[in-house]
Amino acid sequence: MTPFELVQPATLGEALALLDAEDTRPFSGGTALMLMMKAGVLRPRRLVSLQKLGLDRIEANGGLRIGAMATLRALETSAAVRSGWPVIARALRTLSNVRVRNVATVGGALAHADPHMDLPPLLAALGARLLVSGRSGERSLPVEELYAGYLETTLKRGELVTRIEVPPMGKSSGAYLKCTTRSADDWPAVGVAVVLGDENRIFVSAATDRPTRLEDEASIEKLKIEGDSHGSAQYKKQLLRVYLKRAMDEARNASR
Amino acid sequence: MKRATHPAETAQVGRSVPRLESWLKVTGRAEYVHNLRLPGMLYGKIFRSTVAHGRIKRIDVAAAQALAGVYKVITSREIRDVVPDPYYGPAFHDQPILATDKVRYVGEPVAVVLASDPHVAEEAVHLIEAEYEELPAVYDEVEAMTSKAIVHDALKPAGTFPDLKHLKGRKNTNIALDFRLRRGDLPAALKRADHVFEHRFRTQQVMHTPLEPLVSVAESTESSLTIHTASQSPSFVRIEIARLLGWPENRVRVRVPFLGGGFGAKLYIKLEALVAVLSLITRRPVKIALSMEEQFFTITKHASTFRIKSAVTRDGRIVARDCEVWWNGGAYADIGPRVTQKSGFTAPGPYDIENVSIDSYALYTNLPPAGALRGFGIPQLVWAYESHTDLIARELGLDPIEFRRRNLLREGRPQATGTPMKDAALEKVLARLEALMDWKTPLERGAGSIRRGRGIAIGFKACIANTTSLAAVNVNADGSCTVYTSCVDMGQGSDTAMAQIAAEVLQIPAESVTVVHSDTDVTPFDMATLGSRSLFHSGNAVKLAAQDALNKLNQLKEELKLSADTAIADVFRKKYGMRAGSVTGTGNFIPPYTPPDENGQTANATPFWMVGASGVEIEVDTETGRVRVTRLVNVADVGTPINPKIVETQLSGAAIMQLGFTLFEKMLFDADGQLRNASLAEYKIPGFLDLPKSITNEAVTSEQTNGPFGGKGVGETATFSVSPAIANAIHDAIGVRLTELPMNPETVWKKLHAA
Repeated sequence: MTPFELVQPATLGEALALLDAEDTRPFSGGTALMLMMKAGVLRPRRLVSLQKLGLDRIEANGGLRIGAMATLRALETSAAVRSGWPVIARALRTLSNVRVRNVATVGGALAHADPHMDLPPLLAALGARLLVSGRSGERSLPVEELYAGYLETTLKRGELVTRIEVPPMGKSSGAYLKCTTRSADDWPAVGVAVVLGDENRIFVSAATDRPTRLEDEASIEKLKIEGDSHGSAQYKKQLLRVYLKRAMDEARNASR
Repeated sequence: MKRATHPAETAQVGRSVPRLESWLKVTGRAEYVHNLRLPGMLYGKIFRSTVAHGRIKRIDVAAAQALAGVYKVITSREIRDVVPDPYYGPAFHDQPILATDKVRYVGEPVAVVLASDPHVAEEAVHLIEAEYEELPAVYDEVEAMTSKAIVHDALKPAGTFPDLKHLKGRKNTNIALDFRLRRGDLPAALKRADHVFEHRFRTQQVMHTPLEPLVSVAESTESSLTIHTASQSPSFVRIEIARLLGWPENRVRVRVPFLGGGFGAKLYIKLEALVAVLSLITRRPVKIALSMEEQFFTITKHASTFRIKSAVTRDGRIVARDCEVWWNGGAYADIGPRVTQKSGFTAPGPYDIENVSIDSYALYTNLPPAGALRGFGIPQLVWAYESHTDLIARELGLDPIEFRRRNLLREGRPQATGTPMKDAALEKVLARLEALMDWKTPLERGAGSIRRGRGIAIGFKACIANTTSLAAVNVNADGSCTVYTSCVDMGQGSDTAMAQIAAEVLQIPAESVTVVHSDTDVTPFDMATLGSRSLFHSGNAVKLAAQDALNKLNQLKEELKLSADTAIADVFRKKYGMRAGSVTGTGNFIPPYTPPDENGQTANATPFWMVGASGVEIEVDTETGRVRVTRLVNVADVGTPINPKIVETQLSGAAIMQLGFTLFEKMLFDADGQLRNASLAEYKIPGFLDLPKSITNEAVTSEQTNGPFGGKGVGETATFSVSPAIANAIHDAIGVRLTELPMNPETVWKKLHAA
């Protein structure tokens, strides 16, 4: 790892100004960033900490508003989430381990854009939107529109995800299932998020380079999938068929 | 140091004494080389080969040397100024301290950057450029037999093993050892057999993954050298460093504190020769600590191919077995030739077979070197012969346990080498496994996409011979006891076991004994901590040393006309008139051994046998191919358990490690010999969620008559049988046979849907 400077701005405005610069990265939980820096994949000269921006609140008032700096653990243990969006709490219990969930943040988990992560397909299936702030103002977009490809987002330089807004689940129910092909704690080979309601929303991930919406179960066959160390394309397609069917069954049987 | 002290009324052996070092470890005070910092110390970072086989044309270190903070960049040229012939190894002197003229695998060390700041050294490594003239490479062990790509221009046996002498100077070959065993008349037996079965099995290359990666520190003066190292073999390190430098052994000191796991990765020379020479060049202490990733390029477990053929009578007696095993040793022999022979001679399995032929080949290839990994080759062999044996039972319609029982080696019967079996509780272990598995009760077979099955396997191992252990036991003036041994506690609990053995002899509490860690200036010679040999060899040496000390104390009492029950402190006080003096006992243990003849026959192949059987119940998801082990039973013959709790954790630890090698661990190489998954993000080992719901570990009642208090080694035993037990259970559950490891979900699914 190369030496770097760590700055800790106290306001969002300051942070956004600092981020609009070369060789600069935002630093939230650091669980992915530190590994990438140790591996030499990222070599930033300056890290801008988002810890002191007060972006870590979780509020439920009809919909769910999650500050981007809320930890995964805070989301998992939130009473509002457990009663209103239990599928999120269930999914988080299978995400890495408590040590990671205690420091990793919701915004970081989304903006990292690793297709193996659990929250992007689930929040997309729940119809969540993101609030993105930049020096020129704010914009809002559906979660799935954050992704441009493997580890690539549509965020511009100096933009930050600051808040996630999840609509109420109402009478709909959801399930998130993933499948690992090596150890149980491996990155998933496939992830499947299903929300059944007035409109069925199905998202797959891990097997695709970004969370990808499927019209129905049959559309798996048209998906373009590439083989990797988790499995061949043919095998991952089989896993998708099996896990989508299982996720649909689980969602049908789930209360929400 | 905080320790509980119990009275010596209870027996010391056979008691689950809590680990002596547990308090140090949980409070973070146990000594590890990783934490060692010496004044003026330089950190070395290694620049590695990017090609699998090539001549080094040019190494450009100018940019690295110019980086601010870099002390020096070293290549083999500077190494050879200190050590003109810089090749080391336990069996062959084939491995250079840094690549010299040629590179032989991707990841081979080519240069080292030294700096006071390890981050600067690492940064500078990226600035080194090397140019190679690429040569044809070979990766497969069977292809290596006839390949035109030759890894070493000429074979260079180390001279320490007589059975390698005939290979000296041999050219145009990748065969580092061709072990051969013949017994009875195989062709005749095959010809008149009722049934002949033949199968081929493969295992994959995997890594030891000790939690503490390899690390060594050297400090030197003009005339002396001290190496602090995470090594399982300090005595060997001293001998080999002294040989490389042409120094007497007494000028080289090798110290080993605790190890964070070893499993065979930390044997012989790894980083020690490199840090030693770097320290002599720079006259400063030098430390090299590998990252987890770099361990993949240092030492691994042999991939293997095993062709096995058996002749069986109508009533289920195995009358002949033909074994051909190819071991993928990678670019440097390390201890591969010993694995090839010492494990090779057990290739037919623990069965009484009259006609046997074994050919076991150690091959050089252009992959990272392979050595010993918890089982010394035995798990690769048991994988094949117990899968094969199960297939035969199935084919003949015999119960797999009954078929094995009919053929097991009985006490006193000759094994394939001709050595009679002694203190090997094969029948007892199999019977106990049968009972614990509730084998007579039919298994519930599952429903829907979940199919259930069960399987068992039994394996055995000979302990490596000829090896020596020495020990000393000091009884101090106050009666307290100190044990000196070069046995290394790498987490297996040897300190506690050695303390228990000394304490049993001296009739004092094991908790009160101090065990001095390996320091070649202080502790006596010990061959190495490997192959489950230490409890038996070092344990016998400690027992002899304690007995010697006790005899001397008794003599002293007689001399001073003191009664037999006089407290030790009073004996010394009477002798010296004050609190002074000590008594030192020494022990030297070397069990008898007879080298094999040209047919692999010997009356005494091993000082003891280890026996390990496993049984599993599994669930297979037929839609995904995922195998879940729901129940794992390990039964072993460990002689008399010296510390039952440690025996249990050794059995479970070994079985869980083997579970990873069985179901998913695999080093993935591309067509150019590049390792694609050299990180723990892409190379997965078992975690808590991968463990079977139920694990049972049991040692049968038995005694190793020549072992210390009836004990023998246990570290590897539960690795033997896990893999074939699972393959046999998969066959039982879904009717397909897997012949290659690992049995990951995709391979199971493909096999099931191809059938």
